[in-house]
Amino acid sequence: MKITDKIVTWARTKSPWVIHFNTGACNACDIEIVAALTPIFDLERFGTLLKGTPRHADVLLCSGPVTRQIETRLKRIYEQMPEPKFVVAVGTCACSGGVFHDCYSVKGGIDMAIPVNAYIPGCPVRPEAIIDGVVKLLQSLEATDEKEVTK
Amino acid sequence: MTEVNLNREEDIQNKLLSKFSFLEGRIKVKRARRIFADVDLNNFRSVFDYIVKDANFNIMCMITGLDEGENLSFIYHLANFDGIIFDLKTYAPKGNPVLKTITDAFPGAGLYERELVDLLGAKVEGLSIDNRYPLPDGWPDGQYPLRKDWKREMLDQKEEK
Repeated sequence: MKITDKIVTWARTKSPWVIHFNTGACNACDIEIVAALTPIFDLERFGTLLKGTPRHADVLLCSGPVTRQIETRLKRIYEQMPEPKFVVAVGTCACSGGVFHDCYSVKGGIDMAIPVNAYIPGCPVRPEAIIDGVVKLLQSLEATDEKEVTK
Repeated sequence: MTEVNLNREEDIQNKLLSKFSFLEGRIKVKRARRIFADVDLNNFRSVFDYIVKDANFNIMCMITGLDEGENLSFIYHLANFDGIIFDLKTYAPKGNPVLKTITDAFPGAGLYERELVDLLGAKVEGLSIDNRYPLPDGWPDGQYPLRKDWKREMLDQKEEK
């Protein structure tokens, strides 16, 4: 591994910029995501920063099941993110569709539309669980440091 | 239990009965502040106009759509400022469920009527529709998810083709 790659990986795991996208959630998980980012739980101590555009983000935090209406929008947002990119499914609905599973307007979990790196179940997820999930994602990035960090 | 005073509701009921004789036996004060009536589609608009304009039920709460097997039925929930809710029910055959719009009386009811169009497959004359609402944009024609005989598999089969 080249020294430049090592530096890039180090920088990436120390400052993952996230974008939060609601794919059809009831808003409960969104509130918990915001709670996790703000000072009481302080996800930002791991260097995360909430960005307003997918073009600046490394991690896509998705809450909610993928509705048929949002599916193409979600794919478009995902495609706008620069490589390498990571997706975290926040909440039971985002993991599997949850209570909306088999509803006529719902496709299912986030992985029906785009590849997912980490699943965080909970209804709604606790902020501690979000922190745990994000830290596990970052640890897995460090672990794959030896290999190529992609996908 | 104390006796409930239903004078206001019965006054409205009697006014309607004297105006429309076909409502005999089809109008009922269910309890305090709830009046229920069902009418045929042909008489719907005259009764509706009377309730809205003369009986002053000038709040359109919502429209309920139901699949009752052979018929689709539609309940128009109207309210007045005394807190009384009038539920006016009408029917249309499932094979050709054609309603007339009420957007001339309540422009906002267009959203409720569009839900009937998309979710139950009712046809509403006089309602202009240029896109899907509330179903997603790519939804196939002829699929009405709130009908009782609709199954989710019908949608998936359509998508595979």
